[in-house]
Amino acid sequence: MMIGKLFHGGIHPPTFKELTAQKPIKKFPSPEKVYLPLLQHTGTPLQPLVKKGDMVKRGQKIADVDAFVTAPLHSPIAGKVLGIEEWPHPTRGKFGAIVIENNGSQDDEINGVLSQEEMEGMDPKSIQNWIREGGFVGLGGAAFPTHVKVSPPSGKKIDTLLINGAECEPFITCDHRVMMERTDFILSGAYLLARACGAQKIIFGIEKNKPDCIEKITGSIHNIPLPTQVSPLPVLYPQGSEKHLILTILGKEVPPGGLPLDVQVVVSNVQTAWAIGRNAQEGIPLIERVITLTGDSLTNQENLDVPIGARLLDLVNYCGGFQVSPEKTIMGGPMTGIAQVTLEVPVVKGTSGFVFLRKNITKEEYSCIRCGQCVDHCPMYLLPTDLVRYAEHGDFEEAKKQRALDCIECGSCSYVCPAGIPITHYIKIAKAEILLRAKKGGK
Amino acid sequence: MAELRFFQTPAPHLKSPVSVPKIMFMVVVALIPATIWGIYFFGPKLTLPPLIICILSCLFFEWLDCKIFKKPVTIRDGSALVTGLLLGLSLPPGSPFWIAIAGGGIAIILGKQMFGGLGQNIFNPALVGRAVLLISWPKVMTSWYAKAPFAFPTIDQGLATMPQGVDAVTTPTALTLTKEYGFQVLSQFEPRLLWRLFVGTVPGSIGETSVLLLLIGYFLLLGLGIVKWDVPLFFLFGLSCIALITGQNPIYHLFAGGAVIGDCFMANDYTTSPLSFKGRIIFGFGAGAITCIIRILGGYPEGVTFGILVMNAVVPLLDKLLPRRFGVKQS
Repeated sequence: MMIGKLFHGGIHPPTFKELTAQKPIKKFPSPEKVYLPLLQHTGTPLQPLVKKGDMVKRGQKIADVDAFVTAPLHSPIAGKVLGIEEWPHPTRGKFGAIVIENNGSQDDEINGVLSQEEMEGMDPKSIQNWIREGGFVGLGGAAFPTHVKVSPPSGKKIDTLLINGAECEPFITCDHRVMMERTDFILSGAYLLARACGAQKIIFGIEKNKPDCIEKITGSIHNIPLPTQVSPLPVLYPQGSEKHLILTILGKEVPPGGLPLDVQVVVSNVQTAWAIGRNAQEGIPLIERVITLTGDSLTNQENLDVPIGARLLDLVNYCGGFQVSPEKTIMGGPMTGIAQVTLEVPVVKGTSGFVFLRKNITKEEYSCIRCGQCVDHCPMYLLPTDLVRYAEHGDFEEAKKQRALDCIECGSCSYVCPAGIPITHYIKIAKAEILLRAKKGGK
Repeated sequence: MAELRFFQTPAPHLKSPVSVPKIMFMVVVALIPATIWGIYFFGPKLTLPPLIICILSCLFFEWLDCKIFKKPVTIRDGSALVTGLLLGLSLPPGSPFWIAIAGGGIAIILGKQMFGGLGQNIFNPALVGRAVLLISWPKVMTSWYAKAPFAFPTIDQGLATMPQGVDAVTTPTALTLTKEYGFQVLSQFEPRLLWRLFVGTVPGSIGETSVLLLLIGYFLLLGLGIVKWDVPLFFLFGLSCIALITGQNPIYHLFAGGAVIGDCFMANDYTTSPLSFKGRIIFGFGAGAITCIIRILGGYPEGVTFGILVMNAVVPLLDKLLPRRFGVKQS
């Protein structure tokens, strides 16, 4: 079922998914130490609830803050708090992190398991609270707190919950494997999310390059007590972008600066649904997730079920180390992911995987020849090359007028540019500057 | 492993294999069929010197400009080669060497480097070169040669006498004759005119004669995704509209003169055409329409050069036309 339409632009980068798409998820053994940054989500940083020397259980809440847009943190292992120190962070340079040493015990703090009746009995408000207490954020990469997403402001009605299984980033296959191997939890998680936001129906969006997932989910959606469908999506990057997923499946466009809820939709990543379903059925908050470790420099490419806070170096060693030292290490997919400085960084909630590239792919830079490739491939109808010019000249007023803030930073323009110009990067700079000035102007 | 060092560059970390020199190279490849035809049809003696001198002149002046203004030498991007080839193809066969040298210098220095080099120029460099040559040395730029069997009778001889012999003789082009006698008279005189224009057995500039071979090159580029269809299509549309309004044969105007080479390879030039689809429609239509208006009403028999240059000047304005906005209903 697809009543929407193909979006404008987009690209077909090589996917490299064959490296890991058929590899079953392996459980990464409990590490000796975990490093848990106090900021793993979009929103307010957390305050630790534990101090050096405290003993913690697996699943115990160890950090929280009195704010709405935030997500509490739970310990993924049982052990002793070694301290709270500055530690390398995959997106923030360094950030305060709780370091916990594993004491090898199986001391679990299990939250209450929800029975089917309890799920039916909870009202949306209490489901939202229950999601917040589990520390759930979007596991697709942006790490936006899930309870905020499913709490529409009064007056806004939600009719559809979209479960995003597009996984359009090259290399990354964690959602693919979760859909294949952990279907049951996905279904109960999706149902809870729909209940929380008041959606009347659920649609799974899955790219057609994962026919096994489409078949698997289609075969089991009758277990959800709400009208549920699977929508096979065309294989086109950035299909997994929220706005483009909604356009393709429902034919609705989210207004500029707006959110999916402006078109009565909530979108959630498929692995987020899995984690929530797991919490309902096993009482385990968001302390583990599935990530993909891949790239041509790694000895064995794997899909791993890892605790949040596991150090990248330990994961690399588990995968047999490097065949060839990588020139570049990326957290996330290669289109939007962030280049890493060190292997000391931990897995955070928003980590979908790490890609290790033997060769850093570069292109010689020329001046813009105005070929218009960026314009043709921009899924947001922007004129990216003009935005680069405004950013270069520091004309951020004009950049704003030319809709720089509409940019979803998918990277399609930089990918196609024959002159090798880092267009997306320039637009990101312009966006940051525009937002900064708006903040200053507001004060 | 602690000593591992990684590249720190912004996303995206994948890049398509297309690059500026590759694009320029493919444009040259696309022009090769028409170039070879020009050399064969007019003879190497009349065509090779202008072509080669034009290309060398463009490369030399680009190098010279970069040296004088102490900039990195940009010859390797291939754009001067494309400009040189296009300019050479738009010269009449038998053009003297100094025309080719002057044309190359004007095209590169005045047409491109003065604006800041590749991608910064407002006007198509090859056309700037050609326009200056046409205005400065109109006699040289409108003296056409062709092998006698393919030449047209000159105007002062009337249409009665056909050129004799096998050597190259001076000849008017089809457009010059049309200007003088009208298409009706010309097509009665030469019933196979449209066919000859299509395959390229007519007098004209070195590379403009064969519509067929130029289109083969264009469709190669189109198939490779290097060029777009919008500007050429609307150029033809604009040209045909004016032709139809004034009661002329639109097919003839599409095939004659430099319409196809100008349309597919010069109007469609990246740098000097608008970015947005809306802008490109107006640009293409306008260039085609002005070309035809000059042909019918203007002092020159051919209008492609000025048609495109005039619309080049409007591009910065047309670039203010943004595409529709995502999430906003079109009114």
